[in-house]
Amino acid sequence: MDIEQVKERAGPREFSPKDDLPEEYRKAATRMIQFHANSEIMGAYLEKPFIRQAPSLDRKLAFSAKVQDEIGHGQLLYRAAESLGVKTRDEMLDELAEGKGKFLNCFHYPMDSWVETPMIAFFVDGAAMRRQATLKQSSWEPYAHAMDKVCFEEGFHVKHGEAILYELMTGSKKEQELTQEAFEEWWPRIIQFFGPTDDKSTHHDFSADVGLKTMTNDELRNAFLNAYVPKAEKYGLEIPDEPRIRDNGDSTYEVVEDDLDWDEFFTIAKNDYDPGKGQIDGRKQAQDAVEWVRETLDSHEQRFAGGTQPQAAD
Amino acid sequence: MIWEVFRQEQAGEYHTHCGNVHAPDREMALMFAEIQHGRRKPTNSLWVVPQKEIGEVDTEEANFGGTTDKSYRWAQSYSFEAAAEEVADSESEQVQAERQRGDD
Ligand SMILES: [Fe+2]
Ligand SMILES: [Fe+2]
Repeated sequence: MDIEQVKERAGPREFSPKDDLPEEYRKAATRMIQFHANSEIMGAYLEKPFIRQAPSLDRKLAFSAKVQDEIGHGQLLYRAAESLGVKTRDEMLDELAEGKGKFLNCFHYPMDSWVETPMIAFFVDGAAMRRQATLKQSSWEPYAHAMDKVCFEEGFHVKHGEAILYELMTGSKKEQELTQEAFEEWWPRIIQFFGPTDDKSTHHDFSADVGLKTMTNDELRNAFLNAYVPKAEKYGLEIPDEPRIRDNGDSTYEVVEDDLDWDEFFTIAKNDYDPGKGQIDGRKQAQDAVEWVRETLDSHEQRFAGGTQPQAAD
Repeated sequence: MIWEVFRQEQAGEYHTHCGNVHAPDREMALMFAEIQHGRRKPTNSLWVVPQKEIGEVDTEEANFGGTTDKSYRWAQSYSFEAAAEEVADSESEQVQAERQRGDD
């Protein structure tokens, strides 16, 4: 298939590993899914310390279940990426450890306090879910299949995040103030989750033309704001004055882009933001520490593969 | 030799197990699968897999989902109105899964 044929055929779940796809498609899909997989992993590492810091047993159990889910999402997505035949899972994990693998802006920031947890678990998971729901229609079938399972699980993350937000915003005055502060800090980053407005985003056109994604940054951001601004207000959070968000009154919003720190965003996009670098290194150490496990499994796999050959031949 | 057969009804959907065939090799297994499983039911693709290559673990050996109350894992345990359509969809899938697992 050449790229024109791909564009012609492009539709939900249209292409699978059986199809002979041009390199341009396979590379673009790999970049997109690898980014997504990396983000699941880095998000899990960011949230992991809060299993320990959770204020109650219920929260601890739910938080550990959530972190477990996110690592699982990473694994599903590395498989979906690997099936494009461009990079192996090991290569992608190594790239992440070496600081070459890219991931979501929000997961480059440090998270120090429990009041910050709903910023990720409610708002960022909510934003991610908005996007992931549309990716069930992606043209790369293994990606869309991964989204079926991811979306099945994510509803719990978002509602648990909401429960934490509710608890904090109905708690002591101090808790409410700290939560508002955390919200003000995180809100611009959450808006930037969707990337720059469409005319500034570089990869959109091709990905949309070949059906890898079905909605633009702006459409996704609008849908997110429509659903989550009322929720924030319901719990008594005040939406910061900046970035200015103009409600057009027809379910669309305009974010005044100049109010957002795009220098920081693009520094982060290059993995050059210091706290993010620390998080990349932190995960690298975890990866290095279990090198012996991978080695053991690899040599076991080789022995096992040798052992089944006669069986497969009969 | 027994081959397990998986049928996909439409492109983009999952291959799900639909039965097995007795055949001496893969080529004939595919042919028999086509005849027995692909003729009447809507079929886009079939897979055949040697039965002895399939690993299984069932409820006799495993406690799928664990042995303790894990209601904290389900969206429906948190009584808030879903923030968005996709959250509501996820919750109804979880409600259905809970019902199928036979939990109370
Ligand atoms: Fe996830
Ligand atoms: Fe999540």
